[in-house]
Amino acid sequence: MPDQLMQKIKNFIMEEFLPGEDADELTETTPLISGGILDSIATLKLVMFVEEQYGVNFEPHEVDKENLDNLVSIVRLIRAKNPSAA
Amino acid sequence: MDFNLSSEQKLLRDSIVKFARGELNDQVVERDRGQVFSRELWRQCAAVGLLGLPAPEEYGGVGADPLNCAIALEALGYGCRDGGLVFSICAHVLACVVPVWQHGSEAQKARYLGGLCDGTLVGAHAITEADSGSDSFAMRLRAERVGAGWRLNGSKTFISNGPVADVAVVFAVTDPAKGFHGGVTAFLIERGVAGFSAGQKLAKMGLRTSPVGELVFEDVWLADDTVLGTVGGGASVFGTAMDWERSLLVAAHVGTIERLLETSIAYARSRSQFGQMIGKFQAVAHKIADMKVQLEAARLLVYRTASRLTVSRSISLDAAVTKLFVSETLVKTALDTVQVHGGYGFMEEYEVERALRDAIGSTLYSGTSEMQRNIIARWLGL
Repeated sequence: MPDQLMQKIKNFIMEEFLPGEDADELTETTPLISGGILDSIATLKLVMFVEEQYGVNFEPHEVDKENLDNLVSIVRLIRAKNPSAA
Repeated sequence: MDFNLSSEQKLLRDSIVKFARGELNDQVVERDRGQVFSRELWRQCAAVGLLGLPAPEEYGGVGADPLNCAIALEALGYGCRDGGLVFSICAHVLACVVPVWQHGSEAQKARYLGGLCDGTLVGAHAITEADSGSDSFAMRLRAERVGAGWRLNGSKTFISNGPVADVAVVFAVTDPAKGFHGGVTAFLIERGVAGFSAGQKLAKMGLRTSPVGELVFEDVWLADDTVLGTVGGGASVFGTAMDWERSLLVAAHVGTIERLLETSIAYARSRSQFGQMIGKFQAVAHKIADMKVQLEAARLLVYRTASRLTVSRSISLDAAVTKLFVSETLVKTALDTVQVHGGYGFMEEYEVERALRDAIGSTLYSGTSEMQRNIIARWLGL
């Protein structure tokens, strides 16, 4: 069964930053920051979306490639802050 | 939504206008010609609170909220005809005092904010490099881990206040693999640290009383406690400085625009050609009417953005819109002011040619107009 949280994050990224692109191309491990999909503003938009949707707060040092470079790490960070996020 | 200034805000505005007109305008033509930065005027500005506007009172600041900071800087830009001094103050307050206050440890705040607010220290913010201007994320100044500290090698250029700075917020790459987010760290560095030096002051077109130059780092060793914010957290420090600078530096421009408008009106009412004052000619009158329209729009944008600065999760879009509009309005107003003055406007004596030279930089520093449009477009999903 697909991870619902991951699917929501993926949908947001597809809609906002990859309109018209093939959703199958964006996998769990597609590099988002190092792959050029998320630039600084896109990263900020993603962070604002996640904070609003899941009631979490990202510290400045957490907004980096280590935590946001692919769907797996993004979901891991959200769950660490809000285990019931779905 | 109340568009009126409170009595306290009017008092703040009037007192700064009076101070600036009375204390900061003598010899401004000569200072501009000689590219002179005045420490004496710097200290006078500190004495009325201008150098520590947003910093909390317990650290020697005024504790003004962003809207009151905007009102104060607008008053400064209106009353002070030394555009370079106004620019130096804004760079110091918005890109050095604010990051130290917002991201500094208690020890860092205790060490620097008092001196930055009372005029003992001049602050600078150093991110631009010779090969990374708008593309500031491509910086090359490297900070390598050495024992319990960092060793910095490289250089920065076009650093406002750099030649006279006593303390600087400096951005360096600490982890090239991580890129700007996570791989850049902000450091606080003091004048006199071994290996750290200010290169020569650069001559420039305008803002000539605001010194700008290169900073050089040759095997500079900095302890861990000089990191501002967190290791890898430079992007956040930079973002704070840009939000404040783009939102509030332009408040000073609003004051300058109003002064240029009044200068243009006074000249158009006093200068006669073909038997009537030139303000009666539609070509001149419409130019000045447009200045008024743009001034009012610029002021509203600045006040709104300032009001949202500390309450919105991100002010990036508002700041870009405001910075773009107000800086381009300043350049247009200054150019039109020269045009209204005709040949006299081209002469040094009338001081409007200097206003134009000072204005040109506004669409370049703190992110060019092109970068602001890029930011706006990205926020619009383009």
